[in-house]
This record gives sequence, C-alpha cells and structure tokens, in this order.
Amino acid sequence: MYRIGVDVGGTFTDFTVLDQRSGEVSFHKVSSTPSDPSEAIRVGISQLLDQFDIAPNEVGFVGHGTTVATNLIIERKGVPTALITTKGFRDVLEIGRQTRPNLYDYRDVKPAPLVPRALRFEVEERIGADGAVKRPVALDQVDAVIERIKAAGVKAVAICFLHAYRNPEHETLVRDRVRAAAPDIYVTASSDLLPEFREFERLSTTVLNAYAGPRMQTYLDRLSNGVRELGMPVTPYTIHSNGGLMSIPTVRQYPVRTCLSGPAAGVVGGAMVAREAGFGEVITFDVGGTSTDVSLIAGSRPQFTSSRTVADYPVKIPMVDIHVIGAGGGSIAWLDDAGAMKVGPFSAGAVPGPVAYGRGGTLPTATDANIVLHRLNPKTLLRGKLPVDEAAARRVIEDKLAIPLGLSVEEVASGILRIANANMGRAIRSVSTERGFDLSKFALMAFGGAGPLHACEVAAECGVPTVIVPREPGTMCARGILLSDVSLDFVRTRIAAASAEVWDSVGGFFEDMRAEGDGWLDGEKVAPEMRRFQQQVDARYEGQNFEVSVEVPAGEAMALETFLERFAAAHKTEYGYDIPGRTVEIVNCRTKAVGLVAKPYDDFRAPSGSTLEGSLIEHRTVWFNADTGRIDTPVYERGKMPLETMVSGPAIVEEMSSTTVIPPDTRFQLDRNGNIIISIVGGKQ
Amino acid sequence: MTGSQGTANRNNATQNSRIADPIGMEVFTNRLLTITEEMGNTLIRSSFSTNIKERRDCSVGLFDRAGRLVAQASHIPIHLGSLRGSVRAVLERFPVETMNPGEAYISNDPYLAGGTHMPDISIVTPMFADGEVRFFAANIAHHSDVGGSVPGSISAGARTVFEEGIRIPPLKVMKGGAIDEEMLYFIAQNTREPEERILDLKVQIATNQRGIQALDDLVRRMGLDAVTQAIEDVLSYTAIRLQRRIAELEGKRGSFTCHLDDDGSGGDPVPIKATVWVENGTLVVDFDGTGPQARGALNVTTSALEATVFYATRALLDPRLMPNEGMMRSIDIRADKGLIVNAQFPAAVGARSITCQKAARAIFGAFREILSEDKALSSGNDDLPTIVFSARHARREGTYVYLETLGGGGPASSQMDGMSAIHVHVTNTSNLPVEALENEYPLSVDEYALVEGSGGAGRHRGGLGIARQISALSDGTIFSARSDGHKFAASGVAGGKDGATARLYRNHGTDREESLNSKVTHLVLTTGESIRIETPGAGGFGDPAERDREAIERDIRDGLITAEAAAVDYGPRG
Repeated sequence: MYRIGVDVGGTFTDFTVLDQRSGEVSFHKVSSTPSDPSEAIRVGISQLLDQFDIAPNEVGFVGHGTTVATNLIIERKGVPTALITTKGFRDVLEIGRQTRPNLYDYRDVKPAPLVPRALRFEVEERIGADGAVKRPVALDQVDAVIERIKAAGVKAVAICFLHAYRNPEHETLVRDRVRAAAPDIYVTASSDLLPEFREFERLSTTVLNAYAGPRMQTYLDRLSNGVRELGMPVTPYTIHSNGGLMSIPTVRQYPVRTCLSGPAAGVVGGAMVAREAGFGEVITFDVGGTSTDVSLIAGSRPQFTSSRTVADYPVKIPMVDIHVIGAGGGSIAWLDDAGAMKVGPFSAGAVPGPVAYGRGGTLPTATDANIVLHRLNPKTLLRGKLPVDEAAARRVIEDKLAIPLGLSVEEVASGILRIANANMGRAIRSVSTERGFDLSKFALMAFGGAGPLHACEVAAECGVPTVIVPREPGTMCARGILLSDVSLDFVRTRIAAASAEVWDSVGGFFEDMRAEGDGWLDGEKVAPEMRRFQQQVDARYEGQNFEVSVEVPAGEAMALETFLERFAAAHKTEYGYDIPGRTVEIVNCRTKAVGLVAKPYDDFRAPSGSTLEGSLIEHRTVWFNADTGRIDTPVYERGKMPLETMVSGPAIVEEMSSTTVIPPDTRFQLDRNGNIIISIVGGKQ
Repeated sequence: MTGSQGTANRNNATQNSRIADPIGMEVFTNRLLTITEEMGNTLIRSSFSTNIKERRDCSVGLFDRAGRLVAQASHIPIHLGSLRGSVRAVLERFPVETMNPGEAYISNDPYLAGGTHMPDISIVTPMFADGEVRFFAANIAHHSDVGGSVPGSISAGARTVFEEGIRIPPLKVMKGGAIDEEMLYFIAQNTREPEERILDLKVQIATNQRGIQALDDLVRRMGLDAVTQAIEDVLSYTAIRLQRRIAELEGKRGSFTCHLDDDGSGGDPVPIKATVWVENGTLVVDFDGTGPQARGALNVTTSALEATVFYATRALLDPRLMPNEGMMRSIDIRADKGLIVNAQFPAAVGARSITCQKAARAIFGAFREILSEDKALSSGNDDLPTIVFSARHARREGTYVYLETLGGGGPASSQMDGMSAIHVHVTNTSNLPVEALENEYPLSVDEYALVEGSGGAGRHRGGLGIARQISALSDGTIFSARSDGHKFAASGVAGGKDGATARLYRNHGTDREESLNSKVTHLVLTTGESIRIETPGAGGFGDPAERDREAIERDIRDGLITAEAAAVDYGPRG
C-alpha cells in the first residue's frame, strides 16, 4: 500500500509518496492552481500514480495541507456574513482590545471587521458569569433578525453571546432556529467551536469560521470528487493548525482550524525526522521567497499557542507555535537616505523575483547576493530548468549598492546575507533564548527552498552547534502530513478557586470531553485501541490574568494536592518562582483527542549513493566571508553522495529543490536516512 | 528644559559624524534589538502584576557609560526616553568610578530621580568589562500600587507627591550580587500589595541581569572596541536620519493651543500651547503660553514631557526611527519652570498622562502647520480616560480595585478615516474583557459599543469613541474617574469638523440620570446604579463636501451617523 502527502503552497503543490512495504519515499511537484487548488492535487496525484506505477486501489491514505481557508481570509474572499450577538455588544468585533497595531504609525490600521456593522444584529438575552440565565432570549427579536438576514442575502451567520462558554443554551436555541428557518445558511455558534472565555477572541474566531465556511465546503467537495474519480478507495484527510489530521466532515464544520495547515505539518515532520536522526531539541527554520518560519521543538514535541492572528484577526485555536518574519530569498536590499543598508521588509517575491532570474526583477535581493557569491549555482538552477543571469545580478548590486557605499560587489553581497542572517537569528532567539531555552543544546533543522542556503551562518550567529538538512527540503510539509495523527482539541472554561468541590467538577468536564472526543473519533473511524487522550488544566494564582498549563493524566484520578504541586512547579519553570499559600484558580480544562495513525516506517530510508568522488559535480570559487575571500569549493550532487562518510567544509551540496551551503571550519555527513548533518565548529559560544 | 540645556543640545546637533561601517551597523542593530527584546520579554513574561504582564506598562533600555541611551524596547510611548532620567539621577548620586560589579540601583521619584510618576519604579544595573563600567541595563515598570492616599496611588485631586506613595531616591538595592532584602521589605510594606511588589521588583532586577549577561556575550564575541564603534555608528545614523527630516522643515514655524478642562481640582481650563520650528538644524518644541502648574495631580515633570515630545516627533517625522540618544540630541525642548508641563517640587504628578496626551495634541497641531498635508493628522481622543471601581470582593476577603483606561476615536489623515476605538499617543493598553471582568468583580457591563455620530465629519471621517456602561452589583461600590475632553472637542484638519466631546453619566437613560464632570472622586453607588462613559471621537480630515458618497451611505447604513446628521454635515443626498 502507498500513502500520499500533499502540501498546497502558493507557487507549487508538493507530493510525498511512501511505499509502506519498502519504506522508500518519493517526491513530486506541480504548479499550484490558485483558482481551484483541488485541480493541482488531482493532476499531481494522477501524474505520480503514472510515474511511480501505482494502481489507484493501492493508495491507502491521502492527507493534505491547505491554505484555502487562510487565503479566503487574507484575500477577503469569504461569503457575506452576519452576526447575532447580545444586545449592547455588537461593536466588540470592531473595538477588539481597543489598541492600535503600531504605536507610532497611524497609517498602520486595524483590519476592517469581516462583518460590517449593518449586518451585526443584537438580540436581548443575557447569561451571567455563573452561567445562570439573567434574561431569556427574546425570540420575537431573533425571528425578526432571521428575516433581515435572509433579506440581506447573507450566506453565513456567526452566533456569539456573552458567557456562552459557561452556558450554551441561548446560542444553541438561536442556532437551531436559524437553521430551521434558513437551511442554506452556514451557521457557527461560538459554544460549538470554542467554548472558552474572553469574548473578543472567541467572537473573532467564530466570525472567521462562518466567513470561510461555505467556500471551504465547495473546495472540499471538489477535492473529494477528484480523489474519487481517480479511483482511490480513500477520503482525503486535512492537516490542521495543531499538526493533527481531520476528516472532511470535521473540516466542513471547523474550517478556521486549518488556518496554519501547511506550516504546522512542516514542524510536525521536522520534529519526527529530527527524532529519527537522534535530535530531540530542534529549531525548525523554513525559509521561502518572502518569509521565514521559525518554530521550537523540545523533547521531540512541537510547542503550541492559542494566541495567533490570521491577517491580523485573532484566532484562538491551539496551533503549532510558529514565529514568522518577513525575510526570505526575495528580500530586497536598499539604501536609505541616511546612509544605511537595509534588507527587507520589501520582497520581490516570485514575481518579479530576483534580478538574476530575468522575470522582470530590477532590485537586488538576497538570492542575487547568493548567486554573485556563487553559493547558488551562477549558471542554472532547478536542474537546468531555470537559467541564471549572474552578470545582471552583479550589475544591480554594483549600481544600486556597491558604488554608493564605496565597497566591492562581494563585500556588499556578503553584507546583504549578513544582515538577512542577523534578522533571521533574531527570530530564532525570540522563540528560544527569550523563553529560557539554551541554544547550544539545539540543532537547526533547515528546510524550504532557501533554508539550507542560510542555515550554517544563522546557526553560527545564534550559537547553535548543529544543522540538519532533511532530504528534499523543499517538500518537508508534504512529508509531515504522512507522519501526523488524527486529533482534535476540546476546551471548557470554569473560573473558580481550586477547592475539592471545584476539582470534582473538573473531573466531570474531562469525562464530558472524553465522551465528546470518543464520539468524534467514532466519526473519524479510529479503532478504540488506537485512541489516546491528553488533558491539561490552565490555572493561575488569584489576582493574575494569565494562565499556566498543567498536564493531567487521562483516565486516572489525580488528587487536588498533586495538581497544586504540579501547578507550582509549572509556574516556577515558566516564570522563575511560585507563591506557596496563595490561592490557585482553575480557568480552562482542555482535552486533545488523538487517533494514532499506523506508520509502519517512521524511518524513511535513503537510497545509498556511490563514492564522494562519484558525486562531485564541479569545483567553483565561492565567497564565504571577507577573511576567506573566494575559495575553490567542491560541489556535490546530493542524491549520489555516500551515507555516513565524514567530509570537511567548505562544500556546496545541490539537489533539485534546494542548495546547502557548508562554510569552512565545519564537518558534515549524510546520516543513514540521508539527512545532511553539519557540525558548526566553534558554534558553541 | 531650560535655556542653557537647549544650547547644549544645539551644539550636539551639529556634531554630525559619518557611519564608519553601514553593514556592520545593521547587523549590530539586530544584535542590540535581540538584547532589548529579550529583556522586555523576561520582564513581561515573569512579572506577576497584570499591569506589567498584560498591559505591558513597562520598558527596558541599554545605556553607555556616560548615560547615553543606546537602545530601548518601549512598550508604551510614555516611557520613550523616560529611563534616561533614572540613569542620569543614578549617575549624579553615585559617580561611575565608585560603582562595583554586582550592584543595582532602584528609584521612582519624579524630582529626586528623574521619574515621571511614583508607580513607575526603575532599576539600573552597571555592566563591567576590563574592570570598568561600560554600559548600563535599565528597566522601568508601572506597579499597581506604591502607597499614598488612594488605592493605585493616583488621584487627580492629590496636592503633593507626598500623597502619591513612597518616594524612592536613587538607592543601591543590590551589593556584591546580593539583593538588599531589608530595603525591598521596607518599600513593599509601604504599598498595598507587598507580596506582589517584592515579586515584581525581583523580576525587574533579574531582567537587568539578563541584559548584562547578553551584553557581556556580545562584548566577548565582537571585542569592546568594535561594540563601542558600532554604537557610535548607530547613534550617528539615527541623528543623521532625523536631521534629514528636520531639515525639510527649515524656515517654517507652527503653533497650536489646546485646553485641559480643568487642573484636576476644578477651576478654569488650562491652556497647553506648543510652538515648533527649526533653529540651526535643531527641532525646537517650545511650550511658552502653556498654563501654570496645577493644584491637582495633572502636572508633568521633565522626563514625562521629554517622552511625549520624542513620541510625537517620531510618530510625525519617522515612525521607524530607533529610540536612542542620536534621536534626542536633535530636539530642544523649552518649557519654563513652574508650567504644568515643567512642574516643580512638590507638585503632585500622578495623573500626568492626561496632560501628556494634551501636550501631544498641541505638538501634533503645531506640526500640521509645517508638515505636508499627507503627513498631517487630526486630533483624536487625546485624554486617557481612566475609571476606577472599588468595593468588597464578592467571592473572597478584601477589597477589589478595577481600573480601566479607555480608547476612543483615532485621528483621520489625508489617506484614510480615523480608526475607531483605539488608544492614541502615550499609551496603548488593552481593555479587560467583559467576561473576565464579570467573573472577577461584582459588576455587570450593560453595553460596550461605539459612540454613534462621534466621529468628526470630513473628506475622511474621524474615528468613533467608545461607550462603556457598568452597573454595580453591590452596595457601597466606590467610583472615581480622571478624564478630560468634556469641554473641548478634538479638532479637525483642512476643513474637517470636530469630533464629539466626552461624557460621563450616572444612571444613564433612567429618570435618575445625572451628568458628571470629567474628574470624579469617591462617588458611592448602590446596587443597580450605573456609570456610563462615552469617550471622544476624533476630528475629520478635509472638506466634508469632498467625502466619497458611497462612504457616506455606508456610514448611514452602519449607523455610524444618522441620515439627518449626514444631510447637515455632508449636504443632501444627490
């Protein structure tokens, strides 16, 4: 049987195929089809079935990462959406947290609410903080609102009432009434999606879900049909923002959960590949054309956050914690009028792209600097498919930067990379040292088209001793999908001082959520022995307004005293101290329901290459830094390199989707899985 | 602040040097920002108080041996440059030659230690290399209480700093690497929440240790000479960059006067006047014509005024300028002693933010006359309204204090309508969610909404203010407010109309409705009584007749203005 992982990106759709019998992986790539992303998936799968001679009925799994929901939000292409909320609070969506996005620049504005004020309807109802009904729902008002919603041609409705996380009764009532009166309208109630307190974030998440819902459904229908037409006996799974898989019916209900689909898969894949290579503490470093994604993995586990935004709208869903900065291969170098050289935040992107690619780019980019220094092949890339104009890159760096600064082209080109690397290094420190992690114990896992170009110097800048470059670093996200489990997160808010009585009710919440999780896993067709539950309690000291998470073992009773001890320890780890004797408040209870997916080969095997000499393509003169100048450097073909053979830098390793730059004063080898493992000498500072 | 200091500033401004290594400087800047970000993160992440942790009312900075600001991560603009006062005061009391490794200094006093108001406590820590002090790490954080006559230590009606909490001159709080626990205990017992004070002060001390260590790593890696040279480059670059913006204003002069409703103790409106011009390449901001120091706590001292001027200059001329001495050396602030913006001991200063907001309004107004139209901004909700509820806790022992500052209308510009419901100028703190508030306090929020019709008309409309109405759920709930803008509206620009003024009500919409002044102390509410605050809208930009018809129709549809008001402001529908 075969398993297929698909990652739909902005430019390319990547495929990874795992042969479950041999454990071998193969890769494939087609151009994306933004108007209907399912088209590229269908075409790509059809091609790879042909190319690798796989019969459709031999495919046991198709999973995919998608940016459809994210793009609907970023490009404002969701459907006209209405909101029904508590009387007096329709403007919460617009007020937000009443802060401005930039302290100094008033042209940097809050995003316009996705539901205009005219479609934000209020009805009289009120639940108190204790969950008691203070005022019943005014049903006549609800019915009048439904009529107006129908008349307005709205396609989706978000329902969010105050304290609905505590008592969903009113939301459920209104949800059912809307569905009965207008069955074609897509409805999301906040208590179904995210029963967690703090109204603005819950409201924002609920609105995004409704806004993206209908178009996401259309896409999923096309995708399912496409897969069925190819004759594969599977329904496709989707990876969502916590790095787990969901079936199509779940995605239809919770499209907002897919907002970080592809990047999350990359981190999950990075964690697993690194673990197989013997590294549990890893920073993933995914550099594309316009941005760099950085994420920390501790003990082989990705970190999660629920305070992210999509297009500046808060999304309060547990997501893999990825830090994104606007620096990549397309970042433009420029001089300001006070004599400083800057790199980014402007990017040439894929179009017009770097000057050397000859697609109309006229401004020097980081990629042009890599070409001028011969770190990237100065003649052709993508195995000859992409001709490179080195002279044009030199000319633009000289004219725009080197002459005004009075420096050589090489000095400026290497300066562009030093600045870009310092910027990326800052992002790495912000996810690690700023949270108390010691980078000298970590490895940097570089992927994305440009990650391996920058990784060694960024690692040196940050004091990271090891760099890992997985096979086909351009397709890490597609591979991560093959390594993910099915999972979904559940939450309940109950704010109360941690007494014996309250602790009992916490046990009740976990039982409820477990039942809910079991029901969901039934729907996902996960066998009972493959089910796992992870539980945690978010708690705080009285007087605080932020929470610390404490793991609570699933399926066994934990004494309140034990919980309080663990909370104190967690608080101490997180913040450096605990406060004996101070009252602890329970805030949220969370359950993650996991369905383990059988993965016969975690250990992807690499085909064995020949000899080092046999993999040598050429020698070229590469500029590493001002001390080395240009030095003669061997260039190897990655696929032909022998495994487990130590080599000294400098070296360049080329493959289809990426180039790895290995500076002098380093040693590297391909491990048994084909990962390049580079030791940065002097990296430990 | 005086004439003589102004002269010194002008001399500095002419010392233009070149950047020795532009590429090295940019790399170094990233490394410096890594250190200040790491310090800021440590402070925010580890602090106990909501005030520091969620509202981010704190800042961190790095200084050189001479006390020049090298880099600052500023989380709210009122702290921009305000750490400089603390470092200056420490250096005056403890000459740099007398300092030893393992020491740290604490202070808060606006008069003895260059502070801006008592709740902001600073820690300054020297960093040694080759046996000498080379740098300082410093941070400042707003503590939710430092003692004094009212919970929270800020009362608009306070007469002297002695009513505003414990005064801390620069003191050595750490010696030989050991914290002076007796001193912390003494300070903490002079506040209402001693346990939290000690936790947060220790976090502040640890934050600087983190910064010192990172600086130490940097010096070992690059060498002291290279670091020193790179710092000179960063400061020169910042100075050159700002001087280019200032040079564009040569020969122009702008002036603007606005008013505080009163001085915090009732009485007449207080004028705040700013005049800006360029003199020998230096930007002069002169407050001549501003009213005298107040009887109440609306006074501003040197550090807070500097922060306000630096904020306004950066926002208007170059929002991405790095905050360091290079920026400050090109700005000359003139304000006579005894003005409300240069108050003298022992004037109370707790509510200085309201006056700082008005000073920012005056500076923005003055710049409108000299900046190109595309950079001008209308006036916004330049008030910083603060409401405070206090009563016995419903669920536990003791008294709660719920404090909230509210945003309002944001300024309109030649490019766009103003943002609604935001904080402007010297602050940017989050609200407390309604669901968090109702869980925590015996209060109920009846409404949280935009104030319809509050945005000033114009080609681009001013942002709308916020209405928040809260009912007491227990007898004896004590309410106080310190706000402004009830008498004077936010003005429009280039033909744009004014925004709506602020309002404060007791029992709004009932037969017991009562309109309140902008400053309220100790109003006692019984169960079911409510307070409603409506914050100001911003002024509009440009002639209302030029507003896009579709934008007007959308505002009517959205209920931001009524059709009748639109007919008056924009003319009849065509």
